[in-house]
Amino acid sequence: MASSKASRLGEETRMDKVNAELVVLTYGTIVAQLCKDFDSDYVEVNKQLDKMGYNIGLRLIEDYLAKSNTVRRCSNFRETAEMIAKVGFKIFLNITPTITNWTSDGKQFSLVFDENPFADFVELPDDGRAQDELWYSNILCGVLRGALEMVQMQVEAHFISDVLRGNDTTEMRISLIRYIDDELPPEDD
Amino acid sequence: MATAIPSIACLGVIGRNNNPLHTSIFPSYDPSTNSFQPVRTPLQFALILSSTLDVFELRSRQNAAAGVGLTGDFGLLHAVDDRLAAYGFETNTGTRFVVIVDMRGRRMDGAVAAGLADSRDKRIAGAATGLREGEMRPVFKAMQVAYIRLMQNPFFDPDEHSPPAGQGGKKITSRKFGEEMRRIGENWTPGVTNL
Repeated sequence: MASSKASRLGEETRMDKVNAELVVLTYGTIVAQLCKDFDSDYVEVNKQLDKMGYNIGLRLIEDYLAKSNTVRRCSNFRETAEMIAKVGFKIFLNITPTITNWTSDGKQFSLVFDENPFADFVELPDDGRAQDELWYSNILCGVLRGALEMVQMQVEAHFISDVLRGNDTTEMRISLIRYIDDELPPEDD
Repeated sequence: MATAIPSIACLGVIGRNNNPLHTSIFPSYDPSTNSFQPVRTPLQFALILSSTLDVFELRSRQNAAAGVGLTGDFGLLHAVDDRLAAYGFETNTGTRFVVIVDMRGRRMDGAVAAGLADSRDKRIAGAATGLREGEMRPVFKAMQVAYIRLMQNPFFDPDEHSPPAGQGGKKITSRKFGEEMRRIGENWTPGVTNL
């Protein structure tokens, strides 16, 4: 599928209206509350966000497939990346991250977020650790992991930079671990 | 000949329980030493800010009685002396913004002032005699926007900043908010319509 087709598909898909600020504030409250509940153990907060995202992804993929009128499987991982960035993110967040930094084997790429609606008003806590440990938007990694797992792709996703930490860009690294074969359930003896 | 024009000497944010939330102090031009120095000490500015509280209360009571002005510009609160004047703004939730203006805070070359052609610049030149009604509106607008952005930050806990009900009367520590106050205070000159 050509890349222009993917962006057209993302454009065409009708969007439901949800007040963006409500979503942003809700997500912000979740993260802030997690930080409080886990006593600012940011590594644990990252883990929890990823887990929540995973559970969202498992459900969201169904909605994505219905909304995007996908008719066939992506033939390779590059095409998958294209669809994630230009259709998935466009439908659900109305942003289109840039795909870059492919490895030569075509199994790893980066999504660079020019804008991140989740992080609009955020200023990380000034306790000297949040800047180094907390990945504020980590829920997105979980969403991708969960959604792709439902379509037979096991991936690993993590952020490697975030403007909230003072980096120049917000970049997520996604690596394909393997395609999951449709496994038959173990036979009963 | 040089003309003195007004500048902002201090920006203050006061919480609904009369608790100080933020104070930024800006230096004024001092002709005797040809340098920029604050015209008052931080303590003196704190006292001027506190002294505005009664005016705020009086005005809001008058407003409530008249049924007007829940959110809004309170205008000139009081003129401290021939140099300093305090202007106020109260939001719907009772947060107050105070701007203390130094009427002779900046110097402008007289020849330049006389040669100014367009109306906005004429206003600047004429402003040495006093500030017009609504001159502070862009400042309050910008302060309110900065305050709203601060409140949207999920890691900012409003409870920590309100003494009786919350966990203490902390001041605002946000770096972004402080920088924004600094930008507003340094960039304002009479006649600016947008900050």
